[in-house]
Amino acid sequence: MKRQLTVAALAFTMLASACAGDDGADTPDAQGTTETTAAAPVRGGTLVVAIQADPGSLNPAVTSNGGVHAASEMMFNGLVGWGTDGKPTPELAERWVVEGNGTAYRFTLRQGVKWHDGRDLTADDVKFSFEKALLPFHARTKASMGSAGVTIEAPDPRTVIFRFPEPYAPLLQQLNVTEAPIIPQHVYEGCADISTVAGCPANKQPVGTGPFKLDSYTIQEIRMSRNPDYFRPGLPHLDGMVQRVIPDLGTQLLALENKEIDWVTTVPGPDVERVKANRSLETAIAPRGSGGGNCTLSVAFNLRPPAGRPGFFADLRARQAFWHAVNREQAFRTVSFGQGKVAPSPINSGIPFAAATGLNLPNFDVNRAKTLLDQAGWKDEGGVRVARGVENVPDGTPFEIDWHGFVGDQTTYGEQLRGQLRDVGIALEVKTEDNPTFAATVFNRRDFDTAVVSYCHGDDPEIGFRRTVDSRQISPTPFSNGAAYSNPEVDTMLDRAASEPDPARRGPIYREMQEILVRDLPYVWLTESVTTRAYNADCSGFNHQNTGLFAEAASCRK
Amino acid sequence: MNRRYAVRRLLQVLPAVASILIVTFAVVHAAPGDPVLAVAGQNGNEEYYAFMREKFGLDRPLLQQFATYTSNVLRGDLGVSFVQGQAVSDLIAERVPATLLLMGTALAVSTVGGIALGALAARRPFGPFDLAVSTTALVGYALPVFWLAQLAMLTIAFRTGWFPIQGMTTARADYTGLAHYADVARHLVLPAGVLAASEVALITRIARTGILAEMSSDYIRVAQAKGLSASGALLHHALRNALLPVVTVVGTRIGFLFSGAVLVETVFGWPGLGRLVLAAAQTRDHPVLLGMVLVVAFSLVLANLITDLVYSRVDPRIRYR
Amino acid sequence: MSTPVSATAESEGGSPPTRSLSPGGGPQTQPQAPHRWGTAARRFVRHPAGSAGLVLTFLMVAAGLLAEVISPGDPFRTVADPLLPPSGNHLMGTDNLGRDVFNAVIHGARTSMVVVLAVTAIASVVGLAVGVVAGYRGGWTDDLLMRITELFQSVPRFFLAVLIVALFGAELDILIYVLALTSWPTLARVSRAEVLSVRDREYVEAARSIGASDRRIVLRHVMPNVLPTAMVVIALTGSRVILLEASLSFIGLGDPTVMSWGYLVNNAQRFLRIAWWMSVFPGMAIAVAVLGINLMSDALNDVLAAYSKAAPRRLRKRRLS
Repeated sequence: MKRQLTVAALAFTMLASACAGDDGADTPDAQGTTETTAAAPVRGGTLVVAIQADPGSLNPAVTSNGGVHAASEMMFNGLVGWGTDGKPTPELAERWVVEGNGTAYRFTLRQGVKWHDGRDLTADDVKFSFEKALLPFHARTKASMGSAGVTIEAPDPRTVIFRFPEPYAPLLQQLNVTEAPIIPQHVYEGCADISTVAGCPANKQPVGTGPFKLDSYTIQEIRMSRNPDYFRPGLPHLDGMVQRVIPDLGTQLLALENKEIDWVTTVPGPDVERVKANRSLETAIAPRGSGGGNCTLSVAFNLRPPAGRPGFFADLRARQAFWHAVNREQAFRTVSFGQGKVAPSPINSGIPFAAATGLNLPNFDVNRAKTLLDQAGWKDEGGVRVARGVENVPDGTPFEIDWHGFVGDQTTYGEQLRGQLRDVGIALEVKTEDNPTFAATVFNRRDFDTAVVSYCHGDDPEIGFRRTVDSRQISPTPFSNGAAYSNPEVDTMLDRAASEPDPARRGPIYREMQEILVRDLPYVWLTESVTTRAYNADCSGFNHQNTGLFAEAASCRK
Repeated sequence: MNRRYAVRRLLQVLPAVASILIVTFAVVHAAPGDPVLAVAGQNGNEEYYAFMREKFGLDRPLLQQFATYTSNVLRGDLGVSFVQGQAVSDLIAERVPATLLLMGTALAVSTVGGIALGALAARRPFGPFDLAVSTTALVGYALPVFWLAQLAMLTIAFRTGWFPIQGMTTARADYTGLAHYADVARHLVLPAGVLAASEVALITRIARTGILAEMSSDYIRVAQAKGLSASGALLHHALRNALLPVVTVVGTRIGFLFSGAVLVETVFGWPGLGRLVLAAAQTRDHPVLLGMVLVVAFSLVLANLITDLVYSRVDPRIRYR
Repeated sequence: MSTPVSATAESEGGSPPTRSLSPGGGPQTQPQAPHRWGTAARRFVRHPAGSAGLVLTFLMVAAGLLAEVISPGDPFRTVADPLLPPSGNHLMGTDNLGRDVFNAVIHGARTSMVVVLAVTAIASVVGLAVGVVAGYRGGWTDDLLMRITELFQSVPRFFLAVLIVALFGAELDILIYVLALTSWPTLARVSRAEVLSVRDREYVEAARSIGASDRRIVLRHVMPNVLPTAMVVIALTGSRVILLEASLSFIGLGDPTVMSWGYLVNNAQRFLRIAWWMSVFPGMAIAVAVLGINLMSDALNDVLAAYSKAAPRRLRKRRLS
């Protein structure tokens, strides 16, 4: 009874705040989340946004890849979005009711929402999106809701019900356009393979409900224009949006300063001060991006290598040695330029109730690293460690490992670490990869020794952290449990924390779990990234709490 | 033009094409490891490898493989890039026009500019203008084109704001017709300028040398003796003959223009083959890289063919024996 | 590459002018064997381009050889705060990872030097051997060797190098082999043409008639005539190789375990606005190295061409003074 009451209270608070709007609650880094424009918003104009690479596909429901999301989210919607105050706000769903302790959520869809091709949005579209796209292919949805055993019902065209076997607390934070974009059944149901472009041409010709619709998609840019039938009356103010591909971040900034573009999502660390001083530009720190929020850059040790690849990190001492050899502080200073912080705990500190402090993470200590390697059987022979009596590693194998990452900061870290690891006798080869390559190599074939992944934890550990350490999330799905860490104790704790209705009791469970993780060290939790965005000061009305839909209510003065 | 020469020259294309096919085939098959990895790249899943294995007949004897490879190449079919999820020929074809525009503009500007500078320098050999031009050309020839591109971006693009620093068109606007051409032209100035600058050094020196040599030959002396002014002689006679080596060199420089274009495009974000090559190099996307080698090699054959035919037309002294 | 035709056609005897290869502004004549090498050497050193070229090249070689002495320490190490401008402590500033740019440039010189020396050594040996044998023997040996030469010349260097590095790995050895294998054909052609021009001269006939062995003839009479042109071509090959290696590193295909100028310029791209020194110093290093070698090649061409009987009197006098 008490439990029911607590869950109901929890749900009610969330519901109430969703409807109430501004209530001055504390959101992290809420600086500049709403700009007050002196005059009425100007109608018209085109906002030019820089993206780093041609995304390849424009379907955000079948991947959690940040590039695809950044390019396509503004053409779609989720059921529940983010208000400017950082609280869940109705989007495609007009209202919702939480039933039965949080084991069922009943959503009523808005009336008259149309797809870009004129057809009406129905509950079947929502059901289809989850069952055929999100749950199979979106790593965070699959890991969280999927593991929780969600089922979706669409009893009538305006009603969708999410049912869980156990009470599920974080649902409302997971229904926005980044975590769960809704795609039209009538367009995607005929696809041979909805997750690829070859198997689904619609992935290059998206049809959504979003404020913008696709005009053209070339190698240089993605052009979108206003959706005249958008369900929010009067929006969007902008005539169109253009996503221009500019691979180099420095050039993006130059283009912004040169007035060739209007918006840069990531300002490189060393440029932040200069950009802030520039009167014609505005900056903002966004709590979440298109890849998700509260992201921790993590290095996965391959704990389950394929046959033929030595298990370098099977021994805990090797992992500890790696930790001790790495100067996270220095890497953070030189690569992140002081933006964000060194990760204090496995769970991102942007989730205060679950993150932990004072954990016993290994410090930078080269001598300790060397000692541990010696103990583990890796003898120093002429500057490189060679296996002498290491379990499951043939004698004479040199400690030569590879490091997989995307172009940019991730490989820069790799270069930095290469020097640091050389000191203890580990040879590191840095491999730069594109998204599909990385996914295939790391998650599909597990053909790696270390790989860098920016895991975005979201606003609840269930959303984006769970999948990194849950043994049931070891799968070929990209951005699942990369380390292949498997510990039944941790799995049990994750289950307990997910179904614990009392938020005050979830924290200690997560803390205990993190203490185990800090003992086992399946990953190196490097840094918590914060990205500063910069944009043309003539443009305003951005909702920085929102990810893809940040420009929904934006307008640009001429 | 000598008909016989033209025909024989055309026939020479065949051994050139054969060489290209043999060399590329040999390189791919000499690579260590499973041939399918060499052909298809390190990335990919089972389905993809099966598809590529089938397409290139990798299970069959070597000679048959070569035949399959040749037929594939001549049909322009190099399979699919796993990384990009598209046919290699499509990927390249989409981007060729932008790169050709860049190369063509650079070629035109550097040729005209080089001849003009060379001619001006040759008017007064070893005079101050000549020395200035020669020195600049010498230094310019030594500058790596990608560095020149960065310098141009730093100094011109950013300081003056006259020219955009990236892309082929203005993102904000959606120009059509004449306005579109003007927009592209404005975006073309810096990348083509940098590429041309690298080339102009060579053209200048060749033109200058050629003109100087012609100027001292007998028939020019005769014309001068007859009363033709120095500049008149220059323009009418020397220039025509001095152009011949320039024409020759142009054909062989296509290769450099391609690689230069790739490098310049990566700096200026020009949406051509440059970005494709860069991405393919980083991700070890072998089919795309192979495609690029073939496209450029065949272009060179074509360029040399055209150059020789044009040259034979211009210089009646040439006969192929 | 010979006029009037492209790389695929035959060179019909006679020496191909080297003006299409060299940026040099020398007269349109062939370098010949000097009567006295000592005098030639002295003239070379006194030649303005020659001495300048020597100095610059010497600088690069010295930097390369003495890298550990001048600037000890791993250039990949973080030694200071990132993005510091040039100062007393760091003559060329630091890069984004806090690495000393001066240290990196010096070690980059070592890489370039190693690559240039190795490639030119291999290419010279192979190219001279093939060219001299083909030219001297004639007949089917000549045909066969020329076909093989064409084979290696058919595919453009830069893109082939990109493909090979992707297939075989980005190690310095691979790079050296690729560049060497694609550089020797030019030298082979040029030396063959030189051999052809002296093969039937009177003094060779004379030597043969008194019973001198082929080997003696080649060494004493043929080689001294081949070497001058060969040296010019080798020098130019060297400078091209520096640019090629830098370009490959620029797009990320260099050997990641050694420091390279191209890599430095690539790394500088992102920080162009705030750390110009990351681009300027490595770029200048490349330019200086290439310029040095080109100047030397120019001077060589001038000095050795002065001995040519074909040079018009007026110009020849100019050169010798």
